[in-house]
Amino acid sequence: MTALENTSPAARGRRRWRRLNASMLVGGALVALVVLAALVSFVWTPHDAVHVDAAHRLAPALSDGYLLGTDKFGRDVASQLLVGARTTLFVGIVAVGVAALVGTPLGVLAGMAGGWLSEIVMRANDLLFAFPALLLAIMLGAVFGASTLTAMIAIGVATIPAFARVARGQTLGVMHTEYVLAARAAGRSRLAIALRHVLPNIASILIVQASVSFAIAILAEAALSFLGFGTPPPTPSWGRMLQESQELLFSTPRLAFLPGLAIALAVLGFNLFGDGLRDWLDPKLREHR
Amino acid sequence: MTRPLARLVAVIATVTLAITAAGCSSGTSGDSATGSSLSVGFVAEPANLDFTSTDGAAIPQALLVNVYEGLVKLDQDGKIVPLLAESWEVSPDRKTYTFHLRDNVTFTNGKTFTADDVVFSINRVKTDWKVSLKSAMDVVANVEKKDDTTAVVTLTKPSNSWLYRMTTRIGAMFSRDGVADLANTPVGTGPYKLESWRRGDAITFSANDSYWGTKPKLQKVVLKYFKDATALNNALLTGGIDVISAVQAPESIQQFSDTSKYEVIEGTTTGEVVLSFNNSKAPLNDPRVRRAIRHAIDHKALLDTAWAGRGQLIGTMVPPTDPWYEDLTGLYPYDPAKARDLLAQAGQTRLNLKLRIPNLPYAVASAQVVKSQLDAVGITVDIEPLEFPARWLDVVFKQADYDMSIINHVEPRDVTAVFGNPDYYLRYDSPRVQELFAKADAGTEEEQVTAMKEAARIISEDAAGDFLFLFPNLIVAKKGIAGLPKNLVSESFDLSVLSPSEA
Repeated sequence: MTALENTSPAARGRRRWRRLNASMLVGGALVALVVLAALVSFVWTPHDAVHVDAAHRLAPALSDGYLLGTDKFGRDVASQLLVGARTTLFVGIVAVGVAALVGTPLGVLAGMAGGWLSEIVMRANDLLFAFPALLLAIMLGAVFGASTLTAMIAIGVATIPAFARVARGQTLGVMHTEYVLAARAAGRSRLAIALRHVLPNIASILIVQASVSFAIAILAEAALSFLGFGTPPPTPSWGRMLQESQELLFSTPRLAFLPGLAIALAVLGFNLFGDGLRDWLDPKLREHR
Repeated sequence: MTRPLARLVAVIATVTLAITAAGCSSGTSGDSATGSSLSVGFVAEPANLDFTSTDGAAIPQALLVNVYEGLVKLDQDGKIVPLLAESWEVSPDRKTYTFHLRDNVTFTNGKTFTADDVVFSINRVKTDWKVSLKSAMDVVANVEKKDDTTAVVTLTKPSNSWLYRMTTRIGAMFSRDGVADLANTPVGTGPYKLESWRRGDAITFSANDSYWGTKPKLQKVVLKYFKDATALNNALLTGGIDVISAVQAPESIQQFSDTSKYEVIEGTTTGEVVLSFNNSKAPLNDPRVRRAIRHAIDHKALLDTAWAGRGQLIGTMVPPTDPWYEDLTGLYPYDPAKARDLLAQAGQTRLNLKLRIPNLPYAVASAQVVKSQLDAVGITVDIEPLEFPARWLDVVFKQADYDMSIINHVEPRDVTAVFGNPDYYLRYDSPRVQELFAKADAGTEEEQVTAMKEAARIISEDAAGDFLFLFPNLIVAKKGIAGLPKNLVSESFDLSVLSPSEA
């Protein structure tokens, strides 16, 4: 805590900038690449990503204007990867959104209230935590029909405990700080304390949690689409591209390799970014270097 | 940086695993073709060995013709030929069938097969069977023994389909003393008998030494069961099995392109992959819209992309192995301009249709091609994959809550069930077609063929469904194995005619 107490905000900012670490840069670049691909796909793709063209099926890379070739339906792989980035980001945003918006208030509530209320919230959390996320998603998909949204809400719901636990742990710490004690002594309402003091102080750790959960959500969507419970066809999804190329693994490995690589890089990007962010935001870790 | 690096390795390992997982689960080795034994790979294992109480294609596939035999069977061309009945006569009113039985047949429990067993087996379908297929025997009024080798069956009305159904599991002949434990101990008259069953792995048959007919060339046949298509492929690649009974992923056939080692057999099945229409619900109750859709689909392109070009274009609900088959692919040639015209005539230029499909590989692949091609004529299609079987059966099959679906209608001679019953999920109601079906069932063989042909043509002209392609029979075997069926015409996988490779 010493670092926080004896430096001015401006100096802290400058130091933070200098301390931007490698994992954050690499991770940030990978994340930016995914975002860029998704944005570009809205205005331009080399070909129509879902147009079936029997005459050009399984065209090799760099032929007929197909940069990365075509799949068994004659669809352009490069275009599919670009549009697939949209699906990837969408799933991350929905899943993390659900988890953060529900999990954080629950965690803060449990942390601030304590007692039996805290016990109830956290035990309910444990219950949810014990339920496998993919199973929940497959179940919802089977009941409500497979769609990207149902799958991701399921993943989001299953991620709620992660946010609730982190938020509660951090809230407990913040509640014992002098400024919160002072605010309570001054008679500020619980809501005001939560919004003014607790949330800003636990935000950084939640951002880290979000980036890690984002990576998990991407992997979950890919897995669900691979199993046929995620994004319905023909909307391009990296997971389904992987599944559709399964039987072509021996003859056209490129078709499995490319979406696999995209998934790996996106997940790696968000993980590295989260790691870097944590190091960057955590003053304790910084002092030990 | 050690932690991020460790995570990098972990992520890459995970994804590589995901990519190759399907490729790693190879089968166990052993049981390869050595003179008198052979192992054949399948994907669906039977739940038990009793098809009188349990549904599912896997049981008759393994047992019928091999362990159990009927009075008659289907040959490779789909013709009904003698089996346990040497011959039979049909009365002039076509209601009485007199079967003359072979006199040298014994069950594997040592008992002699007589007309008493025929009476027992046919009556038992009506009294003890639990599967819905048993209704095929409802038309039988009476069955009696004339002497030890003559059985007489009387029907309530003339029915050609009854004799045909006698070639399926319904017609299997059981020993009066052999039905105590059907689920585990089948007793039949066939060329093979059950030797062992390791659940979750394999069923082993050994030759029936007291078989009445031509003795099988193989002393032992192992039916090996696998969880998925890739595992099945790998088992053949690594020598764990000798034959893949049905290739589930057509693109993967390229792995077996080495003709010095493998042989690929491609023929027909009785499975018509149909783009089914909800004929009673707007907008598909308008024949112009249905015809437009048939014209808008390039079937050759669909087959080439969705199923690697394996299969046959038929344009009808009748497979080429049925006597009333007629190639109707010319009725609706690919013609997007005509499709647009028809849609304009129907006043449906901005159509939006729900395509609710089972989440099965051929359906998911075909649906994407259908969507792309209908898109080109201005029809927007929303694909909704439903979990199969439960969800699809409930939503599409039971409630008929759909516009279009895609399913492989595998049952042999199912054109009558699918288009002759207005309550069937396609909700196709044509009095003329129903009349023709009734005529075909009651008439002579010639009348049957003529009436069935006409009905099938009306159904196709009416565009009651779009017949995407005929599902292929795809078998891959080690080189030199003889007797594998080119066309699948029945529900059994005949092992008695197989002979080993010389190797």
